[in-house]
Amino acid sequence: MSVKLSVKNLKLMRSGRDILDIEEFILNRGDVLAIVGPNGAGKSSLLQVLSFLIEPDTGIIMLDGETVGNGNRLAARRKLAMVFQESLLLDTTVQKNIEIPLRIRGVSRQETATRAQEWMHRLGINCLSEQRARNLSGGESQRTSIARALAMKPEILLMDEPFSALDYPTRKSLLSEMGDILHTSGMTTVFVTHDFSEIPALTHQVAVLYNGRLIKRGDIQEILGESAVSVKSWAPWDDGAGSDFLMQ
Amino acid sequence: MNVFLDGFQSAFNLLISMDPDVLAITWRTIHVSTVATFISILIGIPIGTVLALTRFKGRGFLVSLINFGMGLPPVVVGLATWLMLTRYGPLGMLGLLYTPTAMILAQAVIASPIVAGFSIAAIQSLNPKLLLQIQSLGATRFQYLMLLLWEARLGILSAIIAGFGGVISEVGASMMVGGNIRGYTRVLTTATVLEVSKGKFELATALSIILLMLTFIIVSLLSYLQQRKAGH
Amino acid sequence: MNKPFYRIQSIVVCTALILMLAVNAPLASAVESKDVILSTTTSTVDSGLLDDLIPLFEKKTGFRVKTIAVGTGQALAMGEKGEADVLLVHAPASEKKLVDTGVVINYQLVMHNDFIIVGPVADPAKIKGKTAADAYKAIDTSGAIFVSRGDDSGTHKKELSLWKDANVVLTGKPWYQESGQGMGATLLMASEKAGYTMTDRATYLAHKANVKLEILSEGDKPLLNIYHVMQVNPEKFSKVNTAGAKAFVEFMIAPETQKAIGEFGKDKYGASLFFPDAVK
Repeated sequence: MSVKLSVKNLKLMRSGRDILDIEEFILNRGDVLAIVGPNGAGKSSLLQVLSFLIEPDTGIIMLDGETVGNGNRLAARRKLAMVFQESLLLDTTVQKNIEIPLRIRGVSRQETATRAQEWMHRLGINCLSEQRARNLSGGESQRTSIARALAMKPEILLMDEPFSALDYPTRKSLLSEMGDILHTSGMTTVFVTHDFSEIPALTHQVAVLYNGRLIKRGDIQEILGESAVSVKSWAPWDDGAGSDFLMQ
Repeated sequence: MNVFLDGFQSAFNLLISMDPDVLAITWRTIHVSTVATFISILIGIPIGTVLALTRFKGRGFLVSLINFGMGLPPVVVGLATWLMLTRYGPLGMLGLLYTPTAMILAQAVIASPIVAGFSIAAIQSLNPKLLLQIQSLGATRFQYLMLLLWEARLGILSAIIAGFGGVISEVGASMMVGGNIRGYTRVLTTATVLEVSKGKFELATALSIILLMLTFIIVSLLSYLQQRKAGH
Repeated sequence: MNKPFYRIQSIVVCTALILMLAVNAPLASAVESKDVILSTTTSTVDSGLLDDLIPLFEKKTGFRVKTIAVGTGQALAMGEKGEADVLLVHAPASEKKLVDTGVVINYQLVMHNDFIIVGPVADPAKIKGKTAADAYKAIDTSGAIFVSRGDDSGTHKKELSLWKDANVVLTGKPWYQESGQGMGATLLMASEKAGYTMTDRATYLAHKANVKLEILSEGDKPLLNIYHVMQVNPEKFSKVNTAGAKAFVEFMIAPETQKAIGEFGKDKYGASLFFPDAVK
C-alpha cells in the first residue's frame, strides 16, 4: 500500500480561530475515503488545503513522498481534480468545459478530444456536447463537472458534497455510476458529504471531522453502525448516543 | 424640425460627395478615440483585475479613486493635460500641445478610470468559488487571468463600450489640448461647436448626425461582439 | 480550439490598432520649427477670413500655422506666457500693456472692421441713427433689454468703454444681461429676447439669416474695431518660433494680403467685412 498523500501537523487559522488542526492524515493509493462532520467542521477547508488551493499556516503535506511547497504547487494541483457542490462550469459548451482544463494541463489536442468523448459518454452527456453550460439542468452540469474532473485522469479525486444540490433520482443514478467508476478505476478519492446515505454506494472508509480535528476514522460499520436512532437525530460525534443506521 | 431634416440632408450629401474636410475630420475622430480607448484598455483592465482580485492596505482607497475618476469632468482632465503639456510646463519639451497625440492622451486619461471601474465590477461579480475551481484545474497565473477575463467578458466589453462612448463624445478636453485646428486636430465634436458658434446650424447638425452614426456603428459592433460571445 | 480567446479576429483587431497607433506617432514628432502657434480671437476665426489667408501663408512660406481661437483674454494671456508665437487680436488698450512691457514686438496695424448696434425692428428705445453714446443712453432710459458678451473679450471691452463714455452705470440694471459666450451665441440670445446688442459687422452678416435683428446704429468713430498683429518677444521667451512669427507678421501687412483682406466677404455678403490698414 503506497502512500499517496500524507499530512503532518496541519493547522489552519482564520480570524484567530482554528479551522483545521490535524496531527496526521494519510491517504493510500486506491483509498476511497468519505469525510463527514457537522457544518463548520472544516470539511471544505480541508479539501481546499489537500488540493493545494489554500496554504495552511503550519504543516507539511507530501504528495507521492515529495513535500509540496512554493515551487511545486502548480505541478501538484495538476495531479489532482476537484469537484465542488456547485458545478462551476465555464461559460461555454459542455465539450469545451471538459477540453479546456486538459489543454491547460498540456494534453495534446488529439488526446484531449479522445478523452472528452470518452468521459462524456461514460457520464451520459455526449448528446449535450454542444450545449452551453448555462442551459444545463443541475444534474447535467454536475455530470459535466465530474466528467471534466475524470477526464483529467487525476491521481487523486477530491469532491466537496458533489451530490447534495441534486434531486433524489439524479443523486441516486449518479451515485451508482460514480461507484462503478471508482471501483473499476481504482482512483484515490476523498469526498466530503453530510448525507451518510451516499457513502455506502462509494466506499466503506469513513473519517469524521469535528471542530477541525479528525476524531475518528475507520470502517463504515464501526463509525456509523453502532447507533440505533434515526439519521435525523443522531450523529457520530455525539459520543454516547447509539442508533441503528438506516440505509436506503 | 427643419434644422434636423436639413441636417440629415446635409449629412447625407456631405458623406456622398466625400467632402474632404468632413472625411478628414471623421477619420481623425475615429483614430483619436479608438487609439485612446485602446490605451485605456491596456491600462484599465490590468488595474481593474488587480484591484478586483487582491486584498491589500489602501485597496479600498484606490477603488474609490477609480470610481471618482469615472465621474471626472473631461474638461478638468483637459485643463490638467493642457497645463502639463504647455511649452513651459513639466512636459513642455515633448512639444505635444495642439497635436492629435495630446488629444489621445487626454482621452486615454478620461477613459482609463471608466474601463478600470467597470472591469472591477465585472470581475468581482464572478462567483468566488469559480475562481477556486479554475485554480484547481491547474491553471498558471496567466491562464487563470485569461480564463477570468473570458468569464467576465460581458462586463469587460461593457467597460470598453463605456470608455469609448465617453471619449468619442467629449469636446472640452479635445478642444483645449487639441486647439480645434483645421486639418490637424479638428474632430467631429469640436467642429460641431465651431459651426454652431459661426451660426452654421445646418452644418453643425450634419456633423452631429455623422458623429451619432459613427458612434452607433462602432458601439453596435462591440455590442454584437459582446452578445455573441455571451452566446445569445 | 484550445482557448476561446485565441481567435483570428482578435489578432486582426490588434494589428489594426497597432497600425493606428503607429500612424499617429509621426504626427506627434512633427518638426517643431515648422509650426507657428497663432493665438487669435474666436470672432476673427468665425468670420472665415483666416480660412482664406492661412493657406496662402502656409503655401508661401512652408510654415504650418496652428490657429488657436480663444477669447481675447486668453489670447493675450497666451502671449504673456510665451505659449504662442504670434498674436492677432483687437483690443488695443490691453495690447498697449504688452507692448509697453516688451512682451510683444513688431506691433503692426493690420485692418479694422466696425462694431454695430443691432436690435429688434420695432426699436423700442428709438436708437436708430443715433451715435453710440446717444444710443446707449436711450437704451438705459427705456430699460430695453441689452445682451452683452460679458466674457472679457475685445468686443466686451469695447462695449464697456462705450457705456462709460455714455455715462451709464450698469450695476443693478435688470435689462442688462450677460451671456458669457461668443458673438454668435450672444446675437441669438438678443434675437430671442428681442433685445439690443453690440456686435462686429462680420459676425452679424454671418448670422443675419438666423436672427431677427436690424442694424440700428453704425459708423460712429468709437465703434471702430482695430486689429493688430504682433510677435511674442523671443528675448523673453526662448521657445517661440521667431522666424515663423516674423514671417506671419510680414505676411499680414504685405500688399497682396492687404488686398485680399479688403476683398474678403464681398462676394458672399455684398460688402467688405474688413478694411486693410497696414501702412503702405
